Amino acid sequence: MQRRTFLNRIKQVLIGICVVLAPVAVLAAPAGYPADYQKIIDAAKKEGKLVIYATTDTKAAEPIVKDFEALYPGIKVEYNDLNSTELYNRFIGEAAAGGGTGDVTWSSSMDLQVKLVQDGHALTYKSPEAKNLPGWANWKDQAFGTTYEPISIVYNKRLLKGDEIPKSHADLARVLTNPKLKGKIVTYDPERSGVGFSYLTQDLKNNGKGFWNMAKAFGDAKVKVYTSTGAMMEKVSSGEALMGYNIIGSYAFLKSKKDPSIGYLYPSDYTVVMSRVMFISKHAKNPNAAKLWADYLLSSRGQQIVSDKADLFAIRSDIKGETTMAKLSKQLGAGAKTIPISKETVEFLDQKKRLDFLKKWQQALGTVK
Amino acid sequence: MNKMPFSKIVVIILTAIAVFLPIGLLLWQSFLDAPFFQPGKMYGLDAYRFIFEDPDFKRAFLNSFYISLGMAFISVPLGGLLAFLMVRTNIPGRNWIEPLLLIPVFVSPMILCFGYTVSVGPVGFISNWAQMIFGSVPWNIYSMTSIVVIAGLSHVPHVYIYSSSALRSLASDVEEAARVAGAGPLRVAATVSLPMVMPAMLYSGVLVFFLGFQVFGLALVLGDPEGHLVLATYLYKLTNKLGTPSYHLMAAVAMCIVAITVPMVLSQRFLLRNAHKYITLKGKGSRQRTLPLGGWRWVAAGLIAVWLAVTVVIPIVGIVFRAFVTNWGEGVTFIEAFTLNNFKDVFEQSNLMRGVINTILLGVIGGGLSVICFTFIGLASHRKNNGWTRLLDYTVMTPRAVPGLLAGLAFLWVFLFFPPLAPFRKTLFSLWLAYSVVWLAYGMRLVSTSLLQVGPELEECARVTGATPGQVNRHVTVPLIKYGLLASWLMIFMIFEREYSTGVYLLGPGTEVIGSLMVSLWAAGSIDIISALSFINILLVSVGMGIALRYGVKLHD
Repeated sequence: MQRRTFLNRIKQVLIGICVVLAPVAVLAAPAGYPADYQKIIDAAKKEGKLVIYATTDTKAAEPIVKDFEALYPGIKVEYNDLNSTELYNRFIGEAAAGGGTGDVTWSSSMDLQVKLVQDGHALTYKSPEAKNLPGWANWKDQAFGTTYEPISIVYNKRLLKGDEIPKSHADLARVLTNPKLKGKIVTYDPERSGVGFSYLTQDLKNNGKGFWNMAKAFGDAKVKVYTSTGAMMEKVSSGEALMGYNIIGSYAFLKSKKDPSIGYLYPSDYTVVMSRVMFISKHAKNPNAAKLWADYLLSSRGQQIVSDKADLFAIRSDIKGETTMAKLSKQLGAGAKTIPISKETVEFLDQKKRLDFLKKWQQALGTVK
Repeated sequence: MNKMPFSKIVVIILTAIAVFLPIGLLLWQSFLDAPFFQPGKMYGLDAYRFIFEDPDFKRAFLNSFYISLGMAFISVPLGGLLAFLMVRTNIPGRNWIEPLLLIPVFVSPMILCFGYTVSVGPVGFISNWAQMIFGSVPWNIYSMTSIVVIAGLSHVPHVYIYSSSALRSLASDVEEAARVAGAGPLRVAATVSLPMVMPAMLYSGVLVFFLGFQVFGLALVLGDPEGHLVLATYLYKLTNKLGTPSYHLMAAVAMCIVAITVPMVLSQRFLLRNAHKYITLKGKGSRQRTLPLGGWRWVAAGLIAVWLAVTVVIPIVGIVFRAFVTNWGEGVTFIEAFTLNNFKDVFEQSNLMRGVINTILLGVIGGGLSVICFTFIGLASHRKNNGWTRLLDYTVMTPRAVPGLLAGLAFLWVFLFFPPLAPFRKTLFSLWLAYSVVWLAYGMRLVSTSLLQVGPELEECARVTGATPGQVNRHVTVPLIKYGLLASWLMIFMIFEREYSTGVYLLGPGTEVIGSLMVSLWAAGSIDIISALSFINILLVSVGMGIALRYGVKLHD
């Protein structure tokens, strides 16, 4: 009892110190940042506003936005939650019209983001936080990976048990022969979903020959294809489908917390890992606020919120918790296969390559001869 | 007398710009090989060549065609029969059935489809009962047949509206003659009543047929699992198939849809002229008597009840149920899954809350403003027949031929690249303008119906005593149609609440509405929130219908 009160006492004192120091921290540039960082903060305050175009749900992003606004009072964030093609459309349209567009774009559609950067829409910015990122997550100081999200398999816990659940991609071929699963497997339609397309091409890269066998097994099991994670999750939860393939892990994790029917796993042979890509627009009206946001999102404070409150997966190795790269790396080991942020990412935006892949995919599924 | 006043010409020109500028942009875009705002674009027919060679386009086109055909074959006979039963016979419960019949007109098809998935989808609660009784589920809600049938059944009211108003204006003496000669009720309907209103039925048949080519929400939701494409969802698919959005291809598909629907809209005009000719030939003094159906009246009432159950009750119960649970399916009970969190989520997320408020604002204030604009347009051509009014006629009809989704896209371009309008892009004004243009034909029909009821002698009277045309409008015509305009406001309110596709491309902070949010959320997949929004949307429409019933506003003419 005595001890407890003592500890509480210390806690209170510590909290008190934090409260006193917090405003100081706001006024000064964060530790380890360049000396002239204060200039950016002052300029950003003058801008007073930041427009973000993002694919992350408003609800998931809200804690991040709130914390950013608390850190830099006086900068109002206008957060736009768009789907990835809407975001791309809107961005190129507004960039061409010249009437101002998102200062920062932050999207899970990695290929479209890299394309925008390639087309010269990104501002080059040497973020003081960039050194804390894995090398692959920083492309020419223009595009930054901000999360580390595994692509998972979800299943209905009420209706699938034990051996009926696959452990790896290789194991999937065995599981798919189960007649119980016929017509009850869902995955993205690569023709209608850009992210679904990119996860499949990653599978092709990592699984090699096994990929086309898997596609054929999907075809034999009469896989159903959808355009959105949520729709698939709904089908798996209700039992209309029993298993969902290539579901973004952060959604699976979040849904499984709320919905007792949903279980999920990361394939043991390899797990594709995606990262939400962020860049600062060259056409930004509030470039300084955008820089603050970029640094904040990559900082340990921002990443802690990304992991704890937004239930996305933190990409920094120094963040601890359930949904972090540190934890995942331990779980997946060498099996984690990150999608690169580079020229390679846009390989399949080439029209002919894309249509060829789609045709082969349909042939393997048996939907087209 | 026949010289057009300057103000009226201005109104007509403004209307024409609002309609033809966005459509012109679409047309221009379809002949380019890149977005029209990109440097280095080239003119050519590549976009058309691509889609005509794409097997998906062919499939989508055929599916759209089947849906149109199916809709016409299902909804025209059923709508006609329904009109006959409701207007001419003594079936029980006529008064309270009437408003129920019109629910599918005012509830968004997306909402109905979400509802169908929950109640009669593969593991829906009704399907589960069927599973227990028959051992398997005897239907597949995602098949092409189901899509056609649902499209057909939900468009029965469209035919009903036109057929019943035509029937009401016909005297029943001919029917009585047939009865005296010994014909049964069904025979009277088939050989006497319905042939008399054939022009109206044909008109609505054409309407339903081209609405079929614009079906979007239905195919978006129900066509997803088995990949059934229609033209409007093919547009969506094009974006991802090539990786980056391809405006030129989308515009080319839009032009194909327009090429099909424009001739039909024009033929409607011709049919309508005929329809009026028939109706006006009949005197107003004739009596209307209801036909006694005898024992058949319960059979008829049963038929209507089945139709109502399938088209209205099943989907709406489904979506309401889904709004109050966390998850559902085999082995989940309502009590353990019950939750109010879906609504809490809506109220806590600022964009969703803005969406709800914007939807109300757009319906109430925007609807009112639209009716004012429609009235000005109506007055501009009121009792006039010259080149200007003919231009206006075509202008008003044109938007009908363009699917809302694309009209919205075109308006986005207008607001992006037409500098005087650019500041309004992120305000509700952009949505309001797009909505008003998309629903121009519908609104003008409401307003001109009221205008035509004003006897010309009243206006002439005012003119003779020295009133200017403006004074005639202010002091005679508009006050006389005051109640008609209020009723139009209510109808426009309900249609604006329901609209979902026009706002899709205009969606942004400040311009969220429930309808476009649902399309966007569907792409992201938050079904919990969609259900809650659907429920709120249904409530809003119900308020509109409640007011209509309370004050005796006729829900159709």
